[in-house]
Amino acid sequence: MTLQEQIRANRLRSALVVVLFVVLVVVVAAASYAFVGQAGAVGILAFGLAYGLFAWRNGGRMVGSLTHATPLEKKDDPELYRLVENVAIAAGLPATPPVYLVDDPAPNAFAAGVRPESVYVGVTSGLRRLMPARELEAVLAHEISHIRNRDVRLMTLAAVLVGVVAMISDLAFRMTFFAGRGRDRNPLQLLSALVALILAPLAAVLLQMALSRRREYLADASAAAILNDPEAMALALRRLQLDPREVAYADRATAHLFIESPTRAVRGIGGALGGLFMTHPPLEDRIRALEEAGGFRLPPLEATA
Amino acid sequence: MVWVIVVVVALVLLVGVAVYLFNRVVRLRNEVDTGWSNIDVQLKRRNDLIPNLVETVKGYAAHERGVFEEVTNARSAVARAQSPAEAGAADSLLGQALGRLFAVAEAYPDLKASQNFLELQAELTDTEDKIAAARRYYNATVLAYNTAIQTFPALLFAGPLGFRAREFFDAPEGEREPVAVSFAT
Repeated sequence: MTLQEQIRANRLRSALVVVLFVVLVVVVAAASYAFVGQAGAVGILAFGLAYGLFAWRNGGRMVGSLTHATPLEKKDDPELYRLVENVAIAAGLPATPPVYLVDDPAPNAFAAGVRPESVYVGVTSGLRRLMPARELEAVLAHEISHIRNRDVRLMTLAAVLVGVVAMISDLAFRMTFFAGRGRDRNPLQLLSALVALILAPLAAVLLQMALSRRREYLADASAAAILNDPEAMALALRRLQLDPREVAYADRATAHLFIESPTRAVRGIGGALGGLFMTHPPLEDRIRALEEAGGFRLPPLEATA
Repeated sequence: MVWVIVVVVALVLLVGVAVYLFNRVVRLRNEVDTGWSNIDVQLKRRNDLIPNLVETVKGYAAHERGVFEEVTNARSAVARAQSPAEAGAADSLLGQALGRLFAVAEAYPDLKASQNFLELQAELTDTEDKIAAARRYYNATVLAYNTAIQTFPALLFAGPLGFRAREFFDAPEGEREPVAVSFAT
């Protein structure tokens, strides 16, 4: 798959995510009709769509505040900014994306933003401290690949729109309590409406999972190509693997934006069922893919641990 | 009647494929141009820094005239270069000349301690890194473009329509050429 094909596929998937979002909002509104009547259902529909539109316009900032990221000035950390500038040039981006800092000891990084002019790279202070320049550059190249491949728009949309679906189905649930029991409807109808209300957010979460895994391999490979240094990427992933700390302000909604799973809950240690809810492929597999592409071997894990 | 339809469908398909291939080659060529202008920006930025640097070093080591001349000549050779290959050759000469200039600076502790000199040196290092980054991108776009116009379907029309292979911006020795990366999915 070439880069252009990937970009085109991402554009198509972004449109699909938006369509699916609208469908889910309509499903939730229609299901709530059985409980809250016409006015309530129209209200939920309007609120869901309006909030979705707001999320589209402000997706990047929403993710920023969810993860407690703050903008970093060039004078605060010229070295980091230079690395970002160099990687952006090597990747052929038209402009250098701004850098945001998340004050968190766990090493991790992400990229977010829906529109090209509002895209940024987020780095935790833990990553900044832990990584030597060569590996930090590889992590930044991974994030900038996500930007160049247009993954970021898709992933940010998925993150914020999943949140909106979860929120309005929650809202519909609450409203059913105030609205009392559904007037003169049969129990089967009520039951199916209830099932729809429960399934809608779940479907949204599953969609988000399916989106993120394969593109991590792609971003690793792109980063290796941008820097012409697959080993640096593998070393950086190994360093992330060795650090067990979790990012404090990351949850299911934002997990897939990060370079590796920011929380244990989504790292999927729970065996086969865990695999279904993993947002990222295991770091070991990603390192192996880089080793095969680059023709090198990192020392085994036990030796470095 | 059937024959007419078959011929028309075949023609439409052929035209569609031709348009797609043509647009692809044009897009790749535009990427090469963008890549080159990225390098050009950084080369100009460095060329603007050099006179300041030379003046600063002159202030402490006026009699090292040979080195200054070498740097100034190499700088104008880069500015004069007509093609990527020429610019690449001039660039590596300038790199060597700057190396000698900094070697000379080593002998003057006052110069090495000067804030102005340190800033210029950091700026210059930064620009060198950016030239290297821009070169990686440019060479990758050249590789993609050249491969596209030299391989089969596009090969048929690339020559007659005036798509010419582009030159690489030569990497200094010891650095690897870019490799084409395709992603198995």
